[in-house]
Amino acid sequence: MSAGAWLELIASGLITGGIYALVALGLNLQYGLMRILNIAHGEFLMVGAYLTWMAQTSFGLHPLAMVPVSFALLMALGLVVHRLCFKRLAATSPDLDVFEARGLMVAFGLMFLVQNAVSWIWGGDLRGYDFATAPVHIGNAQFAGNKLIVFALALLFALALIVLLRQTLYGKGVRALMQSPVGAQLVGIDTERLHPLMFGLGLGLSGVAGCLLSMAYTISPAMGEPYTVTALIVITLGGFGSMSGALAGGLLLGVIEALGMHFSNPSLKALLSYSVFIAVLLLRPKGLFAK
Amino acid sequence: MNERQLFVRDALVLFGLAGWALALPAYASEFVVSLALTCLMYVALSSSWALFCGTTRYLSLATSAFFGIGAYAGALALERLPWLAAIALGAGLATVVAVVMGAAVLHLRGTYFAVLTFGMTELIRHAITYFEKSVTGTVGRVLMVVPERDTIYLTVLALAVLAVATSIVVRRTRFGLALQGIGADEQRAQTLGVNTRLIKTAGFALTAAFAGAVGAAMSVRWTYIDPPTVFNPFIGFQTVLIALIGGALTLWGPLIAAIVFSVLAETLRLQAPQVYLMALGLLLILSVLYLPGGLASIRADTAKGWWRDIRALYEEKRYEWSGEKARDKRRERERRLA
Repeated sequence: MSAGAWLELIASGLITGGIYALVALGLNLQYGLMRILNIAHGEFLMVGAYLTWMAQTSFGLHPLAMVPVSFALLMALGLVVHRLCFKRLAATSPDLDVFEARGLMVAFGLMFLVQNAVSWIWGGDLRGYDFATAPVHIGNAQFAGNKLIVFALALLFALALIVLLRQTLYGKGVRALMQSPVGAQLVGIDTERLHPLMFGLGLGLSGVAGCLLSMAYTISPAMGEPYTVTALIVITLGGFGSMSGALAGGLLLGVIEALGMHFSNPSLKALLSYSVFIAVLLLRPKGLFAK
Repeated sequence: MNERQLFVRDALVLFGLAGWALALPAYASEFVVSLALTCLMYVALSSSWALFCGTTRYLSLATSAFFGIGAYAGALALERLPWLAAIALGAGLATVVAVVMGAAVLHLRGTYFAVLTFGMTELIRHAITYFEKSVTGTVGRVLMVVPERDTIYLTVLALAVLAVATSIVVRRTRFGLALQGIGADEQRAQTLGVNTRLIKTAGFALTAAFAGAVGAAMSVRWTYIDPPTVFNPFIGFQTVLIALIGGALTLWGPLIAAIVFSVLAETLRLQAPQVYLMALGLLLILSVLYLPGGLASIRADTAKGWWRDIRALYEEKRYEWSGEKARDKRRERERRLA
């Protein structure tokens, strides 16, 4: 294999990995902070993708302009969902274990609700639109322009979130809550405000990921579930609650999948990711990068 | 009622229901019998699921894996083996897989366990799809030898009755008490001398055996099977949903919910499949939020409790929105300053 082909292979892995990382970051925020394992996360990604597609085909809006819009809409939706479901759940659950199990069930319910609402409204067909499809040459390798834009933006958002959590006072509060919920409350961190905000932020990020995905791939109501599963794999790779772990895990999984698919067989892709997932959960349940 | 009276009551109710279901094919229409068959399938699946997963709080999403393994084993064996042997083979294979799977994952609790069982189900499904595609060169299989409708109905009925009867009996044995102990506090159960590892594996295998047998019995009804149909994760999800909505800790909850769901599914699915699934999701959310004990925990004062909650919320909001709350706060502050 030539150097150009290697570059193309690794880069295509990194491009899908960037999306994986972005989806996984949102899920990780929800699980690490609130112990809500949001199985419906991929469905909200799909909602973001459909909103972008609709804005593009019906109103002629530029897809890039939809990135902040879809973030804001999904974040608002997240605040509503948190207010209606998880706030009451947290108040009525006797302990964290019970809350986690019930939260998982509520998320299953949301998954059915959102997925079928979308397929009811927009139908079950594959949808898509053309955006920046011209190939870009880098060295002797070539890439589709839209995929490069998607990768750059996904990486930008992922890094922005990590910097936000590292540098700002809010981020400090979030990290403190992840380490010790009781201790954080004792020093005056307002969980009542941070929990809905971070849940909304997680959904907002999945909205951005959906918006980006719709630029490069075709979309359908069933597209969410594989991304949820991949996001789960990524956060187990990176360790529950670790943000930079999720970013590294996402990129790594993208590359592993691209290499595995190239050297074996595309129909082995799902088999490969599930094997990685189960192996990591069984052998290193704290994540690949845990000390 | 004391223990013994409860046992007699449960056994009598089961006997009556079974007799009624037995008589059903003789007078009901084709549609009603097929509805009853789906219903019995979910009774067997969710009762046996609740037996282990409900009492120990190990949330297994692997039902569809055992169901699919049973379906494939039964369908392939039916050409050479008699009907009952094929069912037994399905149950046996599912049990073996459950023991191996249990050895790997049963030391994990909570979300880890749920996610891992789901991952393993998908792994098995993709592995079989890949095997069929590349080794045997088929996508699905058409079943040539199919028993009569009544044979299938009677088998599934027998499995459902057996599942409920097992739940009735197991609750009263040392094994059932050990399962309950694990659900309440696993470490304490261990300290008190329960071999938790053995008990958990046995319970998991028991659940899997029922799912495998039901899979083997139901596969012949479809006459064509492929991995996406028999390993459909939805079978596993729906089993869990039925058990939880009915009340995973109760004996009759899964049965009640299975009947409600099958009727709802058959009436709504044809006209508006999406509406059915949306209703399913909404019901699940509502039942987790407002009825955590399940349908079987509804008593006369459940509605009264909701009414009290609504009244309390209304009183609180009225206090806030009428401005009374703000006024009271101001008065309080003024009094403190004065």
